[in-house]
Amino acid sequence: MLAQPRPSIPDIALKTTANPNARDILLDSPILSPAQTNNEAFRIFTDHPQLIGLPVVEDGRPIGLINRSFFMDSLARPFRREIFDKKSCTAFMDESPLIVEIGTSIQDLSFLVVDAGKKALADGFIIVENGRYVGIGLGLDLVRMISKMQAQKNHIVMESIGYASVIQRSYLRSSRDGMASTLKDHFVLWEPRDVVGGDYYYFSRFDDGFFVGVFDCTGHGVPGAFMTLIMASALDHVLTHENRQDPAAVLSTMNRMVKVSLGQVVEQGDSDPGDGTANAEKEMKSDDGMDAAFCWVNTQTHIMTYAGARTPILLSRNNEGDIDIIEGDRQGVGYAGTPMDFRWGNKEIALQKNDCAYITTDGIPDQIGGERGIAFGKRRLKELLRSHRHLPMSEQRNALKEAFYAYQGAHTRRDDITLFGFRV
Amino acid sequence: MNDFYVPATPTSPEIDFRFSSNTLGIRGESYPENAAAFYSDALRQLRTYLATLDATHVEINVELKYFNSSSTKILYTLFGMLNDCVNKGNDVTLNWFHDEEDETILEFGEELYEDFGQLNFRPTAVSAA
Repeated sequence: MLAQPRPSIPDIALKTTANPNARDILLDSPILSPAQTNNEAFRIFTDHPQLIGLPVVEDGRPIGLINRSFFMDSLARPFRREIFDKKSCTAFMDESPLIVEIGTSIQDLSFLVVDAGKKALADGFIIVENGRYVGIGLGLDLVRMISKMQAQKNHIVMESIGYASVIQRSYLRSSRDGMASTLKDHFVLWEPRDVVGGDYYYFSRFDDGFFVGVFDCTGHGVPGAFMTLIMASALDHVLTHENRQDPAAVLSTMNRMVKVSLGQVVEQGDSDPGDGTANAEKEMKSDDGMDAAFCWVNTQTHIMTYAGARTPILLSRNNEGDIDIIEGDRQGVGYAGTPMDFRWGNKEIALQKNDCAYITTDGIPDQIGGERGIAFGKRRLKELLRSHRHLPMSEQRNALKEAFYAYQGAHTRRDDITLFGFRV
Repeated sequence: MNDFYVPATPTSPEIDFRFSSNTLGIRGESYPENAAAFYSDALRQLRTYLATLDATHVEINVELKYFNSSSTKILYTLFGMLNDCVNKGNDVTLNWFHDEEDETILEFGEELYEDFGQLNFRPTAVSAA
C-alpha cells in the first residue's frame, strides 16, 4: 500500500487496452483511516514527498482526500501541531473529492475531472470499484493518457491516409509511363493538399496519337481521392479506339455514367412544396462531380481536339507572343445541376513545332498568397509561363513551382494543385 | 424573423443576415470540410425570409477572398434564390467587394452576373489598407 506513485504510464497500457479506462492510470497510494491522526498524516506526507493527495478510507470506502499543501500550510501556523496532532486526520480533509468507478472511460473521466474544476486536476481523484477504494488517479497521468490516445489515433489515421496515397499514386503509374514513353518534353506538377486529394490526371497512348485528361473532383483529402478513382476508372472504361478523337463525347458519356452511378438524378415529381423542405433535402444529397480538360492530340497531323468542363487550356505559340487561354464549357461533369444530356463542345487547335500546351486545375490560380493575401490569378500564371517557356519542360516545372511556393509563402495551401504541360 | 449570424473561422466565412434591415453579408474565406452542411442553415433561413418579401429592396454585401468549388456551387444556389426573388417583384443589389488587384474574384463576380442578370451587380474594388 505504500508504493511510490509510478513516474509514468507504461507504454503497453494503450496496446493492451482497446478502450482505456481509469484502471489504466490507477496508482497505489498510502491511505489513512479516520481513526488515524494528523500526526500520522504528517509522517506519511514527509515519507512520500511526491504524494499530493492522501485518501482517507473508512471500512473500505473513501470519505475524503487530504491535500498536501493545504494540510502543511494549516499545520505550519503557530500552535497548530500542538492542537491538531492527536486529532483525527479528517480535520483538514476535503470531504467531497472526485470519486470515479474504475471502469470509467478515459474520455468520460476527462470530462468529470474538468467539471470538478482545478481541484481534481491538482489533487488527483479517488478510484473505486463498486464503491470500494482501490487507488488514486493523477491529473498529470490523465493528460498524458489523453495525449497518447490522441497521438495514436492520429497515427492510425495518417497511416491509413498514407496507404491510400500509395493506392492513388499507383493508379497513376500507367499514365506516367505513357507520358514518359510518348512525350519528348513534358512535366506534371501534382500535389494533393492532404497527402491524397481530388486532383488527378490521365494519359493513354494510341497508334496515331494520345489522349490526356486533367481533372479536379469535388473535395480534397480522402473523399476527393475516392472521386478520382471513380472518375479515372470510368474514363478507362469509356475511352475507346472509337471515341478517342472526340473528348467532348467522352465528357458527355462520363457525365451520364457518374450521374447514374452516384444517384445524382433529380427524380421526376421532385417538386418544391414551397416550404423549403424539398430544396433542403436536395442540398444534403451527394452532389459530386469533376471539372476537367480532355485533349486528343493526333501526333501525325499535330491537331489537338480539346473539350473542357470549367477547365481551360493555356497555349504558347513558338515561344512568341502572349499565352492564349482557350476556355471550354462552363458546365462541370456529373453534378446534380448538370443536365443528363448536356453536350460539351470540341475545339480543334492546330499545333506547330515548339508550341507548348498547359492544363491547370484551379489550385494554382486560386491559391491565396502574396503581400495582399489574394489569389495567385491566371494573369500571374500566364506571365510565369511566358517568361520560362523557352526552357525544357522539367526546368519550367521547377521554376513555376518555386515561384508558386514563394507566392504562397506562409499562407496555408487551399486546394490540391495540378499543372501539366507538354511541348510539341 | 430573427437575424442570422455565424462568426468567421479560418475556413468558413462570417454570415451576417440582418433580415430585419434587409441587409445580408458574407465575408471571409470559404473552404469548409463539408460546404453543404456548413451553408444548410443559412440557406434555409434565407429561403424562409425571401418568401416573406414583397416589393422590398434587399442589399447583399459579399467580400470573399477564397472559396473552393463546393462553396461555389452553394453560392450559385444562393444567388439563384436572390435572382428568383427579383422576378417576384423585389429588387436586390449585390455589392461584390474584391481587392483592386484580385482579378480572380472580380471575374467570378462577373460570371455570376452573366447567370443572374436580375441582380443589380455592383463590383467594388477595395484598395489595400
